[in-house]
Amino acid sequence: MSTEIKILKQVLSKYSKPMTLTYPSGVAPDRRYSQIPEGLRGIPERDKDKCIGCRACYFVCSGRATSIYDKGEKRTVEIFLFRCTFCAHCQEACPEEAIKMTNKFEIAVPNREDPAARVLTELDLLKCKNCGTPYVTRKLVDRTYERLMEKIDPIVKETVSNDYKKLDGYCPDCRRAYGVDLDTHTKKYVWLEGV
Amino acid sequence: MVDLIFTVISLIVIVPLALFLGVIYSYLLRKLSARFQWRVGPMLRMYGDLKPLLGTTRLLQPLYDILKLYGKETIVPDVSRRRLFVYSPFLSLFFAVAAIFFIPFPGMPLLSGVPYSLIIASYLLIASILFTILGPVASGSPWAAIGARREVELFLVSELGFVLSLFAVAIARQSLVIWEISSGGQSLYLALLTVTAGALMFVAMLGKLHIKPFDMPEAEAEIVAGPYTEYSGKLLGTYYLTKVFLLYGLVALFISLFLPPIATDVLWLPLYIVAAVVLVFLLTSVQVLNPRYRIRNAINWYLKVAIPLGVLNFIIALAIWLVV
Amino acid sequence: MKFETAPDVAEYVKKEIYPDGLEYVPLRENRVIVKVAPGDLTKVAELFVKKFEARLIHATAVDLELKGFEVLHIYDFSKFKDRLVVIVKAIVDKDSPEFPSIANITWQATWAEREMKELLGVKPSGMPDPRHQFLPHEWPNPVESGSIPEGYKFDGSTTAKEMYLPLRMPIEEAYQTLIPIGPYHPGVIEGQIVYVKVEGEQVVAADIKTGFHHRGIMKLIERRGYNKGAFLAERVCGICSAAHGLAYITCTENLYESEVPERALYIRTLLAELNRMHSHLLWVGVVADVIGWKTGFMLTWGLRERVMDIIEAITGNRVNYGIWRMGGVSRDVPQELAEKAKRTVDALREECAKLLLLVADHPVVKSRLIGVGPLTRAQAYDGGAVGPVARASDWKIDVRIDNPPHAIYDPKVISWEVITDDHCDTFGRTLVRVKELLVSCSIVSQCLEYLAKTTGDIRIKPKTVPLGAEAVGLNEAPRGELAYYIRASDKDSSLPHTVRIRTPSYRNNAIIPLMLVGSNLADVPVVMGSTDQCLACTDRLEVIDNRDGGRKILTWDQLVNLSRRASRW
Repeated sequence: MSTEIKILKQVLSKYSKPMTLTYPSGVAPDRRYSQIPEGLRGIPERDKDKCIGCRACYFVCSGRATSIYDKGEKRTVEIFLFRCTFCAHCQEACPEEAIKMTNKFEIAVPNREDPAARVLTELDLLKCKNCGTPYVTRKLVDRTYERLMEKIDPIVKETVSNDYKKLDGYCPDCRRAYGVDLDTHTKKYVWLEGV
Repeated sequence: MVDLIFTVISLIVIVPLALFLGVIYSYLLRKLSARFQWRVGPMLRMYGDLKPLLGTTRLLQPLYDILKLYGKETIVPDVSRRRLFVYSPFLSLFFAVAAIFFIPFPGMPLLSGVPYSLIIASYLLIASILFTILGPVASGSPWAAIGARREVELFLVSELGFVLSLFAVAIARQSLVIWEISSGGQSLYLALLTVTAGALMFVAMLGKLHIKPFDMPEAEAEIVAGPYTEYSGKLLGTYYLTKVFLLYGLVALFISLFLPPIATDVLWLPLYIVAAVVLVFLLTSVQVLNPRYRIRNAINWYLKVAIPLGVLNFIIALAIWLVV
Repeated sequence: MKFETAPDVAEYVKKEIYPDGLEYVPLRENRVIVKVAPGDLTKVAELFVKKFEARLIHATAVDLELKGFEVLHIYDFSKFKDRLVVIVKAIVDKDSPEFPSIANITWQATWAEREMKELLGVKPSGMPDPRHQFLPHEWPNPVESGSIPEGYKFDGSTTAKEMYLPLRMPIEEAYQTLIPIGPYHPGVIEGQIVYVKVEGEQVVAADIKTGFHHRGIMKLIERRGYNKGAFLAERVCGICSAAHGLAYITCTENLYESEVPERALYIRTLLAELNRMHSHLLWVGVVADVIGWKTGFMLTWGLRERVMDIIEAITGNRVNYGIWRMGGVSRDVPQELAEKAKRTVDALREECAKLLLLVADHPVVKSRLIGVGPLTRAQAYDGGAVGPVARASDWKIDVRIDNPPHAIYDPKVISWEVITDDHCDTFGRTLVRVKELLVSCSIVSQCLEYLAKTTGDIRIKPKTVPLGAEAVGLNEAPRGELAYYIRASDKDSSLPHTVRIRTPSYRNNAIIPLMLVGSNLADVPVVMGSTDQCLACTDRLEVIDNRDGGRKILTWDQLVNLSRRASRW
């Protein structure tokens, strides 16, 4: 009996107030909210201006939630939130720091086709100068060029830079077809090494 | 003639009144145990922005739960004895309501003045519980069989305490009419009996209402829903309705037998409500502070507590009868 | 910090433990492979189990394609030499994959051999219990093609059906009732069946059947690679997810010459122990619920909620923390947060101590727990109990001391102790868990103190995993010892060839029938709960691929129509 009375005391002591909190992200003024911690890993958000469409996030995605596909003149980078595990692998892998985890957490939607269930970014594709096929984003070409120039061997730097500019705007098929016309054949690097 | 009309009207009035009070007691049981458990429980006052959706109060939540069951599909198992299975809940409800007619309410003597009303009321309460055993046995489910068996064992021992306490009071007051008992006066000796026999009655109520250490017939972790496993929809709703009436009936019986003259005059109504709330509070605190016993422990406990207490009650009652 | 390997460990095994092996291969961190002929497996098992009292961690098999099957018996020898694990290997032929069963020698191997048989189609001969483990009992036996052969009919002629259908019980046994507890039962939330035969309320026989949510997670990790595998491993179980993450990372870091910064090790310990705290609080609540005490359930879960809040603030998630990376952790604990969390944990420790010891002192709780589900030390060893169940039987095993994972558990650095109890019943298990919870509180507090004072790196880039490497990673999950075995692929340095997970519940569930016989029906859920069984762990993951063309995706309207049809009355 004495134990029961002790438990009764404990129950009625400090925490006799209900521990139940209302739904964390309400808006009504007369409700208490349970707090959302600072570092909650919620829905990832992609900065459209920074994203270059490079597929790094696609390769590391642990839940296979990210997919990238080209349709017409648009490249769509998509995270399907029903599959996302909020692991922040994409945030770590993104070379442009375009992805950031936010502390939003409401992903429930009535229909899985709902755009609210996805983090979508549409990027414009560059058209091939020659055949008009859209093939890559402008920013990806530029950023690749910048990164290439940072790390490249100074001996071949000038040649590569020239070639890069000549090839800019041609799709992979056209590059192969017009490689000789444009004088961008890779064989010349062998001669350069010889120098 | 005027008396007869008044009795008939009060019999008609008491059923919704008992239902309402039973629902309020159930609400209190739920709300208080929620607050003991650091939960919110059914809301007395709804949050502002949920009011249009859920109404201003959920005071009648137990009733809504039962009404919801009445709107659900009722399944009768193929292997059951159909007639017994289907009629048992209604018979149980009928006897519970009938028992209420013999228990007075402040301002309404009802049928409690008829001769031997104490015995009639206790028999009707027994009959009501009997049909909560018979129906499940007819359902053919092993869980129901085990639950019903536990219910029988528990019923036998708790009934012992119930009957002993009733008759201790009856002996001391030299009457088998509830109205006479509840309108009798108080004295020091009778107050002593009120404490001991009241404690015994309280303990018996725990078993009858399946309050926590004695809720093994419905132990959900062991035998699913016990007797009610195969019941659904309207039939289950009827059983729950019976429980509400039983809760009201037992509380009313307790007050009218042990706290006279509260249950007689309409002026006592506030005190009646206070007494009922205190009783429900005591039931709740037993409910929240205890885990469930095994059936064997429960029987042992009843035999250890109920029999000595009953004998003590009899001695006190006889002493009051002979000496005072 | 680097993890050391004793240089002469293979010689030690050859000289001191088993001299007749065909070949001895030392692995990193005192793991040794001993290759033997398939016929010698029983001899080795007899020697190891009977003479050395070594624990069998797991028995499994690896498909080596053309070379045959490799049968592995992994033994824990940490009592003899620091962190020593001996892997006994035998290669059996692909065409006739038969080898002697060791389940007759030790009960610990029964479930493992049944699983092996189902996963790979190998045939351990002379098994005492050759029924299916995860597949339905009436599934065609033996499993070779992986699908039902054409023309096969479920005729109910198998032993399993005769045994389980209550309607077929012979008339002589009519005084008994056969009760299936599960697969869906309010006392046990997850899917499993425990069949109990009762006379009145007394249990006279019991059997357990698992496999209701086998999810093939081991195969999935083999396809996803090391980095993504950590997330899958965490999702084996929602409650001990930190334990799974740590064990998996320990195992993968064992594959290569790894180095982990010290701060990362402290963060790992911190999370694993917070995880243990909330798991044990959860367990106390579940047992309170099972014995019908809703208040105890609510109170302990109320405390647990505060542990969860700390975890959420530290990792950003409540259940699957997702911070485990090879070579460190992905998130640092800022100093202010560490200080704040330390204050909370210290306050929590006092409240837990007060409340839980009161709960353990409640007379009705005591009457429901003392003497229920007895398990002696000898039974625990023979059955292969692990974790708190073993420790409550006065058997002092704890992986954190014996064979620590890649985290800080050195008693010289962090002061803590292994809790044992000699009640040998459910009450003992309760006491062990409650005390362990308090020990975990103090470990967490010490880790947070370190993290609040220092700063430093939390991650070092992992090296490439060598081809064909092998490793065993162990960790003490809240429920007991958790073991991972990974064999790296011979062709691709980012993919494992084989992943095997031996979860603690897998072991403890196997001895539930032993504990049940003789108890009261009211105690069955209590005994089942007392092992803290986690069936998600036992059965391991399931996946639904939404890209698969074969699966139909329903639109909203179709779904509404379907549910309306289902709920019509």
